[in-house]
Amino acid sequence: MYALVDCNNFFVSCERAFQPELEGKAVVVLSNNDGCVVARSNESKAMGIKMGVPFFQIRNLSDSGRLVVKSSNYVLYGDISRRVMSILRSEAPRLEVYSIDEAFMDLTGVDPATHRSFCLDLVRKVRLWTGIPVSVGIAPSKTLAKVANHFAKRYPGYRGVCTIDTDEKRIKALSLTPVGDVWGIGRRVAPKLEAMGIRTALDFVNMPREWVKGKLGIMGARTWMELQGSDAVPREELEARKTICTSRSFADPIPDLEELSLRVSDFAAICARKLRKENTAAGRVTVFMFTNRFRDDLPQYYPALSVPLDVPANSNQEIVNAALKGLRAIFKEGYGYKKAGVIVDEIIPESQIQGSLFDENAEMRERENVISELMDRFNTSDRSLLRLASQRPGHYAEGIRREHCSKLFSTSWDEMIEVR
Amino acid sequence: MKKDIDEIREITAALAAGGEMLPQMASEGIHAGFPSPAQDYMSGVIDLNRELVRHPEATFYGRVVGDSMRDAGVEEGDVLVIDKALEPQEGDMVVCSIDGEFALKRISFSGKGVSGAKEASRQKVSYNILGRRDIWLMSANPKYRPIHVEEGNDFTVWGTVTYIIKKIK
Repeated sequence: MYALVDCNNFFVSCERAFQPELEGKAVVVLSNNDGCVVARSNESKAMGIKMGVPFFQIRNLSDSGRLVVKSSNYVLYGDISRRVMSILRSEAPRLEVYSIDEAFMDLTGVDPATHRSFCLDLVRKVRLWTGIPVSVGIAPSKTLAKVANHFAKRYPGYRGVCTIDTDEKRIKALSLTPVGDVWGIGRRVAPKLEAMGIRTALDFVNMPREWVKGKLGIMGARTWMELQGSDAVPREELEARKTICTSRSFADPIPDLEELSLRVSDFAAICARKLRKENTAAGRVTVFMFTNRFRDDLPQYYPALSVPLDVPANSNQEIVNAALKGLRAIFKEGYGYKKAGVIVDEIIPESQIQGSLFDENAEMRERENVISELMDRFNTSDRSLLRLASQRPGHYAEGIRREHCSKLFSTSWDEMIEVR
Repeated sequence: MKKDIDEIREITAALAAGGEMLPQMASEGIHAGFPSPAQDYMSGVIDLNRELVRHPEATFYGRVVGDSMRDAGVEEGDVLVIDKALEPQEGDMVVCSIDGEFALKRISFSGKGVSGAKEASRQKVSYNILGRRDIWLMSANPKYRPIHVEEGNDFTVWGTVTYIIKKIK
């Protein structure tokens, strides 16, 4: 059995954990650059604010004080996510972290009779230790665990934990689940299925497997299997691991930070482009450089540093930003650098970056990445015609708009909560 | 892909040749990440993270503002080590949130030392996470009167204070 642990309205919950005055209020969190809504509290959902709505359309609500608007504070969310995942891992070592706010727990070894109480304890513990409310869906397959999780969230009666462990419960849950809400069935496919009279997940599983395979391919057939209760999503798929590296030797050694920053920005942008091409995203960016090791007469320095990303990313902006952060941390004056490079790893399929900027709203994602894509079109692998203005040293985070950003409550000595 | 692997080999070889470190994780300063007590762990070094932080996932820090705990030696600017994993006990110093604000208080379930505690405790308190009826919040400064948590208050104990860090130089 799997338990899908999902944080409720994660970004909003992170904000509330350190700003109790936000409790009970309508709150939304905006995407990078304060572009559009990426997270909503239940109160703002009830006001009819949709995911992905541009900020300017709801500005009047925030101006009139009916809505609290927050810029995304990914450092805070990343730290809280690590804490939540660490707690889960200490309780169930076989944990697959699926996104910043979701993880699958393998319940093998836990007595089935105690699954529910085990998970209720977990919900309580995460809430108490971090302030974050979570919901758990328990089922024999990951896709069904997702379905169960929706019910755990929707109906308070479950107290945060819903189990699908009998055929009766499974069929009832599927009959109440619109086919478009099923994990793995995209919003693009759903209208087609509905046009064929397949409205609920139950309608879907009642179709013959061969029919599903013919219409939706092997992935669709797998979703069908999963909804039948068999575990068909392999673990490896959630953990595709690979590395992309871009590096160059320089004709003349580069001694200064400014020039090196431009080069490293380019390398990082190339890595980001490769990620986008493969529809993947990286969780970590490493920058390294070498002096000329064949010149015994010169001082030698071979630094390297890995910068973890709070949310796996593939936009030029984020990858370049991380690489430059790393570069600034390891750069030392007084050396001639002969070679430098950027490595990205902890790579996952883009579709797995959930609850953040990607999966929830394709339209929004396009908006976020339009610049990166434009750059792809103009830039060849060796020459960058278009660069981010911020691919220059010293100008990074300043370029990003974050007018409503909360503090780094949990990670910065100067920004901790104030207590009277 | 082949090229990538070659690259990595080359880098690894070069790093080894230089006798320098392999890529290391960025320190907190870079990532502003969660300080793992296991990180950079060396024997023979007193690691304050390890000594002062019993539950890393549940430990947060807070800055004292004001003088409400003056007589307990807590002053403005002090840093509180706050452990959210601990269940508050009678007399513990806690950070609580009451009606949307953080407050530093001593918590009491008996109202011991509070004049008129008995009368006030007759009012019902329906909401508190501790599942106890009476909660008193006491300052360590005569300027501030004890607070009895009432039904209308939005109240939670946010965390228990385990250490106070004071800068004296």
